[in-house]
Amino acid sequence: MFELFTYDFMQRSLLAAAMVGGLCSVIGVFVVLRGLAFVGAGTSHAAFAGVALGYLMGWPPLGLAILFGLATVWITGWVEEKGRMKLDVSIGILYTTTMALAILFIGLMKGYNAEVYGYLFGSVLSVTNEELRIIGGLSILVLGLILLFSKELYFIAFDQEMAEASGIPARKIFFLLLTLVALTVVVSLKTVGAILVFAMILIPASTAYQLTSSLTTLTFYSVIIGITTSVAGVLISATWDVPSGPAIVLLATTVFFVSVLFSPKRMKSPTRAHVH
Amino acid sequence: MPDSHEPIIRFDHASFGFPGVIALKDICLSINAGEFVGVIGPNGSGKTTLCKAVLGLMAPVEGHLHIFDCACDALRCHHRAKIGYLPQKGVVDRNFPVTVLETVMMGRYGALGLFKRPGLKDQEIAIESLTHVGMESHKDTALGHLSGGQQQRVFIARALAQQPKVLLLDEPTTGLDITAQHNVIELVEHLHDELGLTVLLITHDINMIRSRVDRLVLLKTRLFAAGAPADVLKPDILSEVYGKDLVITEKDFLIVEDYHHHH
Repeated sequence: MFELFTYDFMQRSLLAAAMVGGLCSVIGVFVVLRGLAFVGAGTSHAAFAGVALGYLMGWPPLGLAILFGLATVWITGWVEEKGRMKLDVSIGILYTTTMALAILFIGLMKGYNAEVYGYLFGSVLSVTNEELRIIGGLSILVLGLILLFSKELYFIAFDQEMAEASGIPARKIFFLLLTLVALTVVVSLKTVGAILVFAMILIPASTAYQLTSSLTTLTFYSVIIGITTSVAGVLISATWDVPSGPAIVLLATTVFFVSVLFSPKRMKSPTRAHVH
Repeated sequence: MPDSHEPIIRFDHASFGFPGVIALKDICLSINAGEFVGVIGPNGSGKTTLCKAVLGLMAPVEGHLHIFDCACDALRCHHRAKIGYLPQKGVVDRNFPVTVLETVMMGRYGALGLFKRPGLKDQEIAIESLTHVGMESHKDTALGHLSGGQQQRVFIARALAQQPKVLLLDEPTTGLDITAQHNVIELVEHLHDELGLTVLLITHDINMIRSRVDRLVLLKTRLFAAGAPADVLKPDILSEVYGKDLVITEKDFLIVEDYHHHH
């Protein structure tokens, strides 16, 4: 198994998996706490539509993925803010619309394009050096912004109205969070694919949620779980020749269910008088 | 101690709401530094709107609102950081994975501003705030593991960590048992006396606060009455505002309507 590490492609994929795993698990903390799970799903399908349009027109697929992803989260955020519609309804509409566009764009292509499907299901083992640089650059940007605004992001995830009342530009921070979700999804497209990236955002943070009641510890656990399962998933994929995306996600899901079973929160569930 | 005649919140013919739905109309009211003011009124009388206005989450559609002598018609004026706020129970997820100290530290975030990280000094202020509410020994406990009354204390500590001049409390006793209700109100009274805070307490429970506040403000879209509790709590005034929902016994005023409200 150790000779795997000597291959260039393997080093690239492990590095990509570690970066994507780390990034998804950090943004996932805020997605899970702020209740934006469905936004992640919607965005990944929108980004995939961008990729499909890119291949159809011969334009840069990742650039269009970013454009589609951002448009989706911003429209979603705007709709929620205006309170015209519930968030899950508006994202549900955008989710299916962008998926319809993706299918349309693929249908308009002449012949079968394997690369497009690579973005749908993920193919971390075929990550190129150039893609690795893009993943690295965007990861640094997103993680840097999260670090810079971490206290505001935690606050709006906990209590957006209170954050606003205490002088934090809560609305702008919320849109920043949505933007970071969209960027994370695009960064992860090639590695885990449009369908599975959503799991990479949700699972590590939800697993960590089972294990601790401290925000800082939660984030730390989430990153550890995210990076470990991604790297281990790639190794499983290469060793047993199974697709990498499902290997990563199914491994993470297993860890999640184990954490639910052994959650210390569940075990010493506090006996509290319920007051009405 | 602040000069008790200096108005720090002043509504000047201010109306709040949305086009077609006016929640508060033509309010003229001054809150002076160091005062303990109770805000009462039936459901939908504009109590929460008053709260949002003071917090800067709502601008007046007519008239003006001055806070610390600043015409705060523009939302989120920087003076708002001096207002510590306890939101109504149920607004935040009480099972959120956060410790008591992490919760109270959030009270520092607004004052710190963007890009600055909370340091040791902020942690000291947070712990001091927890000491004021008697919860310092629980600083590493998960918020979700506390009782309703203890959680309320933690949220009051978060408001104190802002080092506010004004403490704004929206229904602080709702959903608590009778002992916890008394404890929370006693704590607020204590903080008012000890820290010289101006307190604005919104409540349904007239009997709980009538002997403790300097002034009562009675709202029903308009400002119905404001003054010493004895001047406001007159059967004729209350019957006019609460109508048939009010039962006056020898000692207490019972607002029947409110029992239907929260559950």
